[in-house]
Amino acid sequence: MVAPPDNDVLWARALHVKHNGSPALCGVSLGVREGEILAVGGPRGSGKTTLLQCLSGLLPAEQGEIWFNSVPVHTMGPLVRERLRRDRFGWIDPAPVLVPELNAWENAALPLMLRGVGRRRAKTTAMEWLERLDIGGCARKRPYALLQAERQRVAIARALAPAPTVLFADEPTAPLHRADRAHVLRTLTTAARSHGITVVLATHDTDTAALADRTVSLLDGRRVNTVHLPPVAETEGRAACSLSA
Amino acid sequence: MLALRLARGARPAVQLRRLLVAAASAGTGFLLLCTMGYAMGHPDAAAAAALRLAWCVAPVAATVQFAVAVARTDPATRPRSGLSAIGLGPGRLMALSAVSTALSCTLGSLAALLAFLYLRGDLSGLPFGGGAASLLAADVPLPVPATLTLLALVPVAASVTGALVLRPRPARGGPAAPGRPGRPGGGAAHGRPGTGGDGTSAVVPEAEHPAGPDDAPDPAAGNAPGARPPRTRPGHPLDPHHPTAPLPTPGGLPWGSAVLAAGLAVETYAARGVPAPGGPALPGGFTGGPLGVLVGWALTAVGLALAGPALTHVCGRLLQAVRPGALRLLAGRVLMEEATRIGRPLGVVCAVASGAYAAATLYTGSRPDIGPLTALGALLVAGCAVATLLTAAVEARNARADTTAALLRIGAPAATLRSAAALRAGALFAVFGPLTWAVAELAALPLVH
Repeated sequence: MVAPPDNDVLWARALHVKHNGSPALCGVSLGVREGEILAVGGPRGSGKTTLLQCLSGLLPAEQGEIWFNSVPVHTMGPLVRERLRRDRFGWIDPAPVLVPELNAWENAALPLMLRGVGRRRAKTTAMEWLERLDIGGCARKRPYALLQAERQRVAIARALAPAPTVLFADEPTAPLHRADRAHVLRTLTTAARSHGITVVLATHDTDTAALADRTVSLLDGRRVNTVHLPPVAETEGRAACSLSA
Repeated sequence: MLALRLARGARPAVQLRRLLVAAASAGTGFLLLCTMGYAMGHPDAAAAAALRLAWCVAPVAATVQFAVAVARTDPATRPRSGLSAIGLGPGRLMALSAVSTALSCTLGSLAALLAFLYLRGDLSGLPFGGGAASLLAADVPLPVPATLTLLALVPVAASVTGALVLRPRPARGGPAAPGRPGRPGGGAAHGRPGTGGDGTSAVVPEAEHPAGPDDAPDPAAGNAPGARPPRTRPGHPLDPHHPTAPLPTPGGLPWGSAVLAAGLAVETYAARGVPAPGGPALPGGFTGGPLGVLVGWALTAVGLALAGPALTHVCGRLLQAVRPGALRLLAGRVLMEEATRIGRPLGVVCAVASGAYAAATLYTGSRPDIGPLTALGALLVAGCAVATLLTAAVEARNARADTTAALLRIGAPAATLRSAAALRAGALFAVFGPLTWAVAELAALPLVH
């Protein structure tokens, strides 16, 4: 067995995952360096979400190894993985799933309080992050009273507030318009860089991937260096193939 | 046919719930048929037969309430995006749910008919057939129209009520909107025959929420949305990622306590001149008890059911009151949100429990001859009330499945979520247990001299 390189905070080798028999990942290996922003690119259905779920310990891989800070994740039991996720990892969903009964700052402070941080300190930290993401004014509103972009920012603040070692963001800007998208992504990457948080960012958008330090491309569950897809035709039908031409 | 196929492919827990509905319907149908048998055997005792029929209203109401709760929990009849595209929209799903409810209830009615015929001895060739031939008037031919009417009562009532409860409604937001789809609305009361009878808990499940539209300004006052006008975001069931506005605070507490107090007062007043033990007449021993006591009990039960949601809301508010941590925050806020869904069945359970306690206090020793049919009826009412409460809890859990999954993804320990649920249950028990006991003691007090 080869020991993982020292500067890789997260390291995966030959991951194989099947969803109910249909292959999702076929032998994906990658390493995530400390403090970098790694984009996982590829079109829809190429296994980005599955890879992130595997790396964060949500989904156990059928074959392959995952090491986090030289600790094997693939041999951990569910309870240990749950604690690892709570203490070290952050997660951002494609759509902001907040607890609808709690207001914005309580939602953002929830992971801190779940870690046992006192209410006052959790509130201070959450409020700081909400201010930083420009939604300090909405801190007392319930999720139903927020816009979708504001909700997604609350979800990002919730993921950033406990200062995770690795932050997994699964298409965090998918439900947003382009103006919001750029702003949210910029605040996310800036915050991660200033706090030294490693980010694994799944995206199918090349503009988003341009903000990252490095891009890993997936295609049909395999890691590829270049995505070679057939070029899009200029017009809908090609005259050469048309029977009426 | 689609209802049959969907019913065949459901999960075991869903099948178990449907089976329980069928069992409740069978028990109620059997009680109704036995009433008919008594009436056939004693043509001169019309008053006694009518009293028995009137007591049957309580099991019928409990069964219908349970069937509606199960229909609302049924995953086959929940709106799904894929099914809506092929034409199974909310309206069609409502019809589907009504059909599947009718299916389970009819199954139960058939079982009741078989048991009745078997005990009468009409089905020959079986061992122990005709064990109760004399009780069920085996010498009189069975009147087919009466049998069919009685057996169709539960299926028709359950499916009509279920369809009314699950009917597609306009999105919430307007002042006249009755509630979010799936909430037991006031319109359900029209769908059921026989609610006007004098059964104790008959009117309880359909009790109108007295403060429906009056409460509409409450959430706006609670968390005023600042510069933005209060938006009416339709809480579409197909879109779990757009959270719905919180339900208005249930305001039934004043009405509930008023009705409860009135019930206790009526009962105490009516029981003044009655020699001990003077409980109301059970069908097992027809002694002509005071009607006032019965009215008092019914009012008490209605009051408890009315006050249930508001009390649940108060429980949640107290749970998250002073500087809550994650556990109390999750437990309390969720309880506040689920107050309407959980509180009403909980109030019904408390009403049934206090009635059972009072009856047990009254009838122990002095009148031990509670017949098997009375026991069956009491078992049906109690079982249906408890099962409805559990079904409502399952419905609440299903409604929160998305949020729970998201919490687990951000690393919330499953143990914390379980402790929050346990905390909710404990708080409800701590409030409703003593309340039930006190109401039961007060209800039994004037009758036990």
